[in-house]
Amino acid sequence: MAESASIVNLRRYRLIRNAVFVWLTLVVLGAFLLRIPRIHILEHTARNLYFHVPMWFTLMAAALVSAYHSLRYLQSGDPIRDLRAREAARVGIVFGLLGLATGIVWARFTWYLGTSLWWNFDPKQSFVVIQLLIYGAYFVLRSAVEDPEKRGRVAAVYNLFAFVTMPFLLYVLPRQMESLHPGAEGNPAFSDITHPIMRLVFYPAVLGFIGLFWVLYTQRVRLALLERRLEMRKATMLEAKS
Amino acid sequence: MKLQALTDTTGIATPYDTLWATAAVPTKPPQGIERVMLAEDKLYVVLAVVLIIWFGLILFIFRTDRKLNRLERTLQERLPEANTELSS
Amino acid sequence: MKAWLRGFWAVFEKDIKLELRARYAINMLLLFALGALVVMAFAVGPTPLSARVQAALLWTVLLFAAAVGLGRAFISEEERGTMLLLQLNLRPGAVYAGKLLVNFVLLLALNLVAVGAFAVLLRVQVAWPGLLALTLVLGSIGLAGATTLLSALIARAAGGRGALLSVLLFPVLVPLLLSAVEATRSALLVAEGWAAATDELLTLVGFGGAVITAAVLLFDYIWLD
Repeated sequence: MAESASIVNLRRYRLIRNAVFVWLTLVVLGAFLLRIPRIHILEHTARNLYFHVPMWFTLMAAALVSAYHSLRYLQSGDPIRDLRAREAARVGIVFGLLGLATGIVWARFTWYLGTSLWWNFDPKQSFVVIQLLIYGAYFVLRSAVEDPEKRGRVAAVYNLFAFVTMPFLLYVLPRQMESLHPGAEGNPAFSDITHPIMRLVFYPAVLGFIGLFWVLYTQRVRLALLERRLEMRKATMLEAKS
Repeated sequence: MKLQALTDTTGIATPYDTLWATAAVPTKPPQGIERVMLAEDKLYVVLAVVLIIWFGLILFIFRTDRKLNRLERTLQERLPEANTELSS
Repeated sequence: MKAWLRGFWAVFEKDIKLELRARYAINMLLLFALGALVVMAFAVGPTPLSARVQAALLWTVLLFAAAVGLGRAFISEEERGTMLLLQLNLRPGAVYAGKLLVNFVLLLALNLVAVGAFAVLLRVQVAWPGLLALTLVLGSIGLAGATTLLSALIARAAGGRGALLSVLLFPVLVPLLLSAVEATRSALLVAEGWAAATDELLTLVGFGGAVITAAVLLFDYIWLD
C-alpha cells in the first residue's frame, strides 16, 4: 500500500489527529471551567461562543478546500482532486448542519424566550441554509451523471460557480435582515463584548474544530481512495477475464 | 459595565433590537421546556449545544464506519475469487 | 476576434430564427408566467398586498419561469444532433455568448408581458417605471447568465433532467433575487425611488458581471470533451 502513503501522509495524519484530540479536550475544559464576566441576557450561553461559532468558521474552511480542489481538478483532471472536493463538501455539510442546529437552539432560549419562535431570519443563519442547499444540489448533480470523468468536471464547474456567488450572498443578506451577531449594524463589535479570557478559549476552539474537520476529511479521503482502487481492480479483472 | 450602556431606549420591541436591552426579560415565568433550559443561568443551553455537536460528529463517524464495513465486505468477497482466478 | 463575433452572431441568429418559426420556448415561458400569476392572483384574492410582497411574488414567478423555460437552450441542440457541429466549428465562448443573448432576449419579452399582467392582476401601481425597467433588465442579465451556464451543464451531463435545473439554480440566485426584490419594492413606492435602490442596482450589476465572467471561464470545461 505504498500508493496510499504517497497521497496521505499517515504519520502526519496520526500526529495531527492526536494533537486535535488533546487540543479540543483542553478547549472544552477551558470553555466550562474558566470564569467569564456575567453578561446580561446571555448569562452562561456566552460560552456557546466556543462551540457554535467555530462551526461557521469550519464550514467556510471546508468550502474553501472544496473549491480549491475543484479548481485543481479542472486544471489537472486528476481524479483524486475530485474525491477531495467531494469529501470536503460532505464534511462541510456536517459542520454546516451543526452550526445551524446549535444556532437555532441558542437563539430560541436566549433571544426568543416566550415567543416559541424557532426560526430567525439572521444573515448568517440564512447563509448557512443556502450553502447547505448548494452542497445538496452539488451531490444531486453528482448522482445524476454516470461517467466519472464527466461527473467530476460537471460537479467542479458547479462548485466553482456557486463559490463565485458566495461573496454576493455575504454582502446582500445583512442588508436585508437584521442580525443577532456582533459586528452587525447596531450590535457591538466582537472585540467589545468579548473578555480577553473568552478570546483565549475562542481562537483555540476555532483552530481545534478546523483541525477536527481536517481529520474527518482525511479519513473520508482515505476511504474514498480505497474504494476507488477496489473499483479499478474490479475493472481490470473483468478485462482480464474477457 | 460597558454593555449596560448599550441598553435600547427606543422601546421598539422587535427581537433584534432587544439584543442587549433589559426589555427582553420576559414578564411571565418560563413554561415547559424553557423552564428546564433557563435553569442555572442558562447553562443547559450550552449543554444542549455541546450535545448537538457531539451527537452530530458521532453520527458522522458511524456513517464513515458503515462505509468502511461495506468496503471490507466487498474486499473479502472479491479477493479470494481474484486470487483463484489469477492462479488458474 | 472577428471569427468569434461572427460565430456568436451566427448562433444567436440561428436560434432566434428557429424560435420565431416554432415559438416553442417563448410561448412556454409566457404561458407559464401568466398561468403562475393568475393562480397567484386568484389565491391572494382582492386583498391589497404590501409592496414587498408584490415584488416578491413577481420575482418568484420570473425565477420559476426562467428555470422552467430556459433550460432547453442546449438540450434542443442535443436533440437535433447539432451539438458536435457547434463544438467543432465555434469557440466555446462564442457559443455561450450567443445562447446567453438568446436567453436574455427571451427574458426581456417575458418581463414585458409578465409585468403588464402583474400590474393589472395584482393592482400594482408603479411609482418609478424607469427604475423598475432598469431593475428588470439588470436582473435578467444575471438570470440569463446563470441559467445559460447551468442548462449547458445539465444538457451535457445529465441528459436534461427537468427539475435538476431548478435545484441547481435557486441557491445560486438568492443574492440576485434579494437585490431585485428590494429594488422593485423601491420602484413601487412613491417615497423610495432611485436613491433608495442605488446599492441594489449596483449589486445586480456586480452579480451579473461576476456570473457571466465565471460562466465564460467555466464554460470551456463543460463544452469540450
